[in-house]
Amino acid sequence: MTVLVVVVALVVAIATYLTWLARRLDRLAARVSDAGGGLVTQLVARADAAAQLAERCGLDELAASAARARVSYPALLAGAPLDAAVELAENALSRALRSAEVAAAGQRFPIELHAVDSGAARVALARQFHNDAVRDQRALAGRRVVRVLHLSGRRSPPGYFEIDDALPVREEPWPRLVEGSAYGADISGRDNPAREDRPGRDGSLGHGDRPGLAS
Amino acid sequence: MKIGLACPYTWDVPGGVQVHVRDLAEALLAAGHEVSVITPVDDEQTLPSYAVDAGRALPVPYNGSVARLLMGPVSAARVRRWLRERDFDVLHVHEPSAPSVSLLACMLADGPIVATFHTANPRSRFLTAAQGALQPSFEKLRARIAVSEAARRTLVEHLGADAILIPNGVAVQHFVDAQPLPGYDDGRPTVAFLGRIDEPRKGLDVLLAAMPALAARIDDARLLVAGPGDAAAVRARLEPELRSRVDLLGLVSDADKPRVFASGQVYCAPNTGQESFGIVLLEAMAAGTAVVASDIDAFRRVLDDGRAGRLFDVGDPAQLAATLADVLTDPAGAAGLVRRGREVVETYDWRTIAERIVGVYEMISGDRRVSLAST
Repeated sequence: MTVLVVVVALVVAIATYLTWLARRLDRLAARVSDAGGGLVTQLVARADAAAQLAERCGLDELAASAARARVSYPALLAGAPLDAAVELAENALSRALRSAEVAAAGQRFPIELHAVDSGAARVALARQFHNDAVRDQRALAGRRVVRVLHLSGRRSPPGYFEIDDALPVREEPWPRLVEGSAYGADISGRDNPAREDRPGRDGSLGHGDRPGLAS
Repeated sequence: MKIGLACPYTWDVPGGVQVHVRDLAEALLAAGHEVSVITPVDDEQTLPSYAVDAGRALPVPYNGSVARLLMGPVSAARVRRWLRERDFDVLHVHEPSAPSVSLLACMLADGPIVATFHTANPRSRFLTAAQGALQPSFEKLRARIAVSEAARRTLVEHLGADAILIPNGVAVQHFVDAQPLPGYDDGRPTVAFLGRIDEPRKGLDVLLAAMPALAARIDDARLLVAGPGDAAAVRARLEPELRSRVDLLGLVSDADKPRVFASGQVYCAPNTGQESFGIVLLEAMAAGTAVVASDIDAFRRVLDDGRAGRLFDVGDPAQLAATLADVLTDPAGAAGLVRRGREVVETYDWRTIAERIVGVYEMISGDRRVSLAST
């Protein structure tokens, strides 16, 4: 009798634990999926802003990179995975946005430039949210009990999204709101056209302080 | 947006996190959002209309001070009801590593959850020990915010997760129209100091050492010192001829703080230790007082490399006296500093900071709302 009670209690405890683990996995999968959706939204917004700037200023190279990035968006918005081809196209767009021509064009169109910059800052943030979610999910999915019992079901492990989203160096209006952070740009989306010429600032906004992420 | 804020520490006990949550809530309300705060409180009468009582926190001695914790079933029921009834778009928990309301909310909720980490504690034994237990709650956080670089580093070291840096704001509107304290509205050249008077790192001694040289250049210069500490001991150390020009006010209330800044033409921050952030400088700038501060990293950043306030070499009374005299005798230059200061302050205005935080909310909320977690 006592043995039976102990066995039943043990089975219940194990079942509860496994159910709890499965719920955590479900929740993490939902978080990864939401974060992926958010990332796509921000990629689309950045490419739109870039295309607009390119059009206003006749920047062919930027227009081409934006167009290349936009090719994959219908599929992404329909739920396609963020794969290596997307990463390459977004990398090219990041590089084009850092070009000298863009900076020069921005002198004449500060509002468009600001839209592009805050779009880029939001992409960096959204990517961080996404990769954080992926990391948490992989950590739990990698636990032995989860792997042995196939608690993740048929879900394939989500991949990190790795692009070079270092923000362009600009002469910025005072002050840098965020010191030493990779995510320092104004993400409020406000227009902030007051850019005064301020030589001597190091403009370290968003550069190189995320080891292992920017590639 | 409908925003739920969870504050882990007792509302009517003074503390930085509580002030942060209050200022954020009021800035969000002013921007037209729907806000509800849940927090432990001793005296429910002190709660503003937008806050909900989570119960009384239990004081527990921890790590040499008293931590106030709240994790019981009654609070859990209140947090659960709060989450169910309010139907938030975003839940924003503050300092969820403290075993209190924020952590409870994190455990009970699901959906768009943001956390702000306030504490910088490079060797937190609690965090290290609790990491495994916190992980199931922390893996629900869709975005993490740190209020300082040090807080961010603590988070990275203990929980292996990065955070967005959004600094504390300054409630600028509390400072802009501040009036001088009685007796300080006569235009006499006055230097104001605010901070613990017996804490060497705050640098009052440097300022006192600069006073004779300042008095030699400006006949009627005086110093207004506000802050807690042993005033008798400080007075005893003063040169007799200085006693008439140094006023020791002692501890001032929060309401009088803006008036202290407004009582001086110059606010002086002679700190000798590294400060992580110069919030007090921003407050002085918001009050429209010119700032003279020691040249340490945090102050140099806040003062825009000397354009929004004058810097002097750390611990150098002679240079401090000369700088103070310059500012006090050059109204046009001082006005320039004040003007630049106001521009700087604007970016730290709670209205601006709250806007940036809402930017984070918008990025993580999507179409999902905050719900009760199925456990």
